[in-house]
Amino acid sequence: MEKDFKKETQKQEKQSFSLSRRHFLMTGLGSCLGFGFLSKAGAEIILPQKRGQDFEEIQEAGNVFEPNLWCRIDEEGFVYIHLVKAELGQHIGSAIARLIAEEMEADWNKIRLVYLDTETRFKGYYCTKDAHSVWESWDIYRQAGAAVKYMMRERAAAIFSTIPEKCLVENGNVSYEGQNLSFGDIVKHGHITRQISPEEMANLPLKDPTAYRFIGMKLQALDIEAKITGRAPYSIDAHFDDMLYARPCLPPTRYGAKVVSVDDTEAREIDGYEGYFILEDPSETIIGWVVVLAHNWFAAVKAADILRIRWTDPVETAVEEKDLQEHAEELLKDSKIGSDIYHDKDVEMLLKTGDNFLDQTYYCDPVAHFALEPLNVLIRKIGDVWEIHSGNHWQSLALGKLAKLLGVSEDKIIMKNYFVGGSFGRKLSSDYLIPAALTSQLLGGRAVKLLFTRSDDMIFDTLRSPSLQRIQASFNGDDKSINAMRYDVVAGWPTLAEAPSYLRKGVKGEYDPASVSGADHWYEVGPFHLRAVCNGLVQRSLRPGWFYGGASGWTLWALESFMDEAADLLHSDPISFRFNLLTGEGRNGGVEPDSVGGARRQAAVLKRLGEVIDWGSINYKLPKDEGIGVACGGGESRDMPTWCALAAHVHVERQKGVVRCKKIWVVIDAGIIIDPDGAEAQIEGAVLWGLSMALFEGAEIKDGLIKARNLNHYTPLRISDVPEIHIEFMENAHKPTGLNGVAVGVVAPAIGNAIFNAVKVRLRKLPMNSEELLKAFDQIQKNKA
Amino acid sequence: MTTSFILNGRNVSVNLPKDTPLLWVLRDELHLKGTKFGCGIGECGTCTIHIGGKAARACITLISEVEGAHITTIEGAEAQEEPMRSLQAAWDEVQVPQCGYCQSGQIMQAVLLLKDNPNPTDEEIDSVMCGNLCRCMAYRRIRKAIHLAAEKLNALKTEKRPEKTSPKQQETTSQGEK
Repeated sequence: MEKDFKKETQKQEKQSFSLSRRHFLMTGLGSCLGFGFLSKAGAEIILPQKRGQDFEEIQEAGNVFEPNLWCRIDEEGFVYIHLVKAELGQHIGSAIARLIAEEMEADWNKIRLVYLDTETRFKGYYCTKDAHSVWESWDIYRQAGAAVKYMMRERAAAIFSTIPEKCLVENGNVSYEGQNLSFGDIVKHGHITRQISPEEMANLPLKDPTAYRFIGMKLQALDIEAKITGRAPYSIDAHFDDMLYARPCLPPTRYGAKVVSVDDTEAREIDGYEGYFILEDPSETIIGWVVVLAHNWFAAVKAADILRIRWTDPVETAVEEKDLQEHAEELLKDSKIGSDIYHDKDVEMLLKTGDNFLDQTYYCDPVAHFALEPLNVLIRKIGDVWEIHSGNHWQSLALGKLAKLLGVSEDKIIMKNYFVGGSFGRKLSSDYLIPAALTSQLLGGRAVKLLFTRSDDMIFDTLRSPSLQRIQASFNGDDKSINAMRYDVVAGWPTLAEAPSYLRKGVKGEYDPASVSGADHWYEVGPFHLRAVCNGLVQRSLRPGWFYGGASGWTLWALESFMDEAADLLHSDPISFRFNLLTGEGRNGGVEPDSVGGARRQAAVLKRLGEVIDWGSINYKLPKDEGIGVACGGGESRDMPTWCALAAHVHVERQKGVVRCKKIWVVIDAGIIIDPDGAEAQIEGAVLWGLSMALFEGAEIKDGLIKARNLNHYTPLRISDVPEIHIEFMENAHKPTGLNGVAVGVVAPAIGNAIFNAVKVRLRKLPMNSEELLKAFDQIQKNKA
Repeated sequence: MTTSFILNGRNVSVNLPKDTPLLWVLRDELHLKGTKFGCGIGECGTCTIHIGGKAARACITLISEVEGAHITTIEGAEAQEEPMRSLQAAWDEVQVPQCGYCQSGQIMQAVLLLKDNPNPTDEEIDSVMCGNLCRCMAYRRIRKAIHLAAEKLNALKTEKRPEKTSPKQQETTSQGEK
């Protein structure tokens, strides 16, 4: 009897093991973890969501086969694709799903997207940033799909009593001589015992792109339905009946002010007010904070407004705009400081040679993220596990910080996945999670919902740092080539503030790519000295943030304005001038597979742009006070460049100095375009962001904080400001790169160049505004007189 | 203070301080999360709802102002059929939403635009929709979807039979047929 029982148990274990065996198929990573499971109700976002159906209702049918980390299949043949990326508006889940579904030969109607809460088995993977997601996922998800196809075909062949080579896998089915098994049928049969090692998986043959059914095709994004019916779950919507609402009482400056006293006598009159905490943060991310607690949000808002708090006087950090500029100018002059990304020989000497020399300085004001969903965190402790509901999308970074703060191991923290109501880089930082964790910890793990009003959100923003850039170059008059270039970038370093281990090694010192990307351009300029200097005053008084488009939001402003100024100096056409410098020699030749072609691809988009706008003749056809300017770049980083060329057509109204952008043309080379419609949407958004930051947004700093606190003073672009936009993608078979970064950065310089072409005024400060234009017109008049 | 109103066709009563903004009543008391918070000063449009069939910003509407009012949120707007149905179909076809956070407000505003003006020009769309901020800058598609919805609605109108019998007459006819 005992023997039989044991045999039976072993048989069952083997069966369940083979059905739910999860073989760790991550190329280049470690060992297998975990056991089979069914979807935990409410634990994940699963799409597509049908009308009237809540996310919790979607459950797998029957047994589940999990061939690798990246998907699972149930008995009805539904393929659940595991996603560790956050939906920020880029429909990334649907894009990645195409990769695995393609190679698997899945039925698209049976695809389900599963956005995973943080789990230990995906440690380190939860990071959605820098337009990297498709590029990161390109190989692994396709390989995972190929592995599943291999397993399905092999198992089906066994069931058909034939060999895999005689079976055809198509549209979620395996067929052989008129017989058919769906993926669901195969899962139902069970006993899928094939194991595929990471090496085998990496070597599986992949589809010929000419046979693609999903990649590059028009498919509806699966997150859109929920967003049209008001059902999309954002973390601001998370709710527990027993939760307390918390609102911050923000100190007079980001750093440097300590709480002296709190008087809540008046606040106690408010119905629903519960009390306050003075927060002490061992990580010193949050300094001088008080949080107000209440049973409803409106009470928390009112109580925080009338709480009487005294802080120490933060003299040093109560900076003005001009303090930050002046400090930058001081740092610029000190050649001993800073880090070098490039420092070729003889730059200083060569700058003194040649026929022409240009030396210009460019400024950029800070910009606010202003994500429409303001910062919010809901945190609670269930048993010994902390549960966090926020739109943070560098969860892997956050987990480390929170674990330390809460005194637990990372596997005792789960960050729940939500759609994010805009981030633009803000919700990569873990800073806003810390006060929520501290507050809940003080309450013994009680559910706390920390919400920011719009004004709080703007004050606590990690602003795009103000920057100062200086470019110097010497030129040869005959062939318009550049002898040498020196480029200095002085700005705050977001990575230093948030994740210092991610700083990069330069040829001298460490630098922050998020502060200088784009300045490491692809032009042939001879010996090149590129220096990055951290503006310590920005670092000490603000908290500079990662921003949409990365540093290219300010580096391309300087670089592409400079290129036009140089072309003008040399009496050269702006497009031919640039084209001839994109030789692709030396370090600008590009690297397989991510920057194949290097500068030649930037040259190609520039050339195509010229054709599209009919550059040769269009300038002669323009009315007075109108101009077209161009800019181009490869970015947002040299490691994974997307090539972009953009032209802007502007009209300048002289009386009031108002600039109106009438049309934008943009040519993009991002390699294989996975989702053509989604790609177009991304570029539309990026270009309009660039336009908004060029003309409509600039955050003035006063007393160490942003002066504007809401839309009455901060004015991002509205529907009535939208110009005509023409978007074109280059077609090729290069590895897909990211979509939006560089398209953000090229807009402002194109507009600056267009303004120059229209009215011969050169603006060197962002945002461009009428005051500067009118001053310049005045100066021109004075010079004439 | 007790306030009673009709929300998405149902009678509702809440007991809250009279200066409580309607937005928080909808979201936190009544658990309708489709209407969003963006700015709190009525400048971004994410909290757009209908009061008495007109657009209102819930963040600056106090609970004391809605006694007896007919309020519709995105959750209840579908039940109103057209132009909402065509608008949502157009929104889907054009793939308008990016992050989606502003979209409830955009759609609630757009549906009233089409009710008032079935064939709006770009300028007319801009002037009605400019109070709705889209931080992802999906504006081009918002305009395109509104035009597409208008087309769909026009097509529906021309499909309807030209004869117009009153509902009472129709009733009699069908009874007669029995």
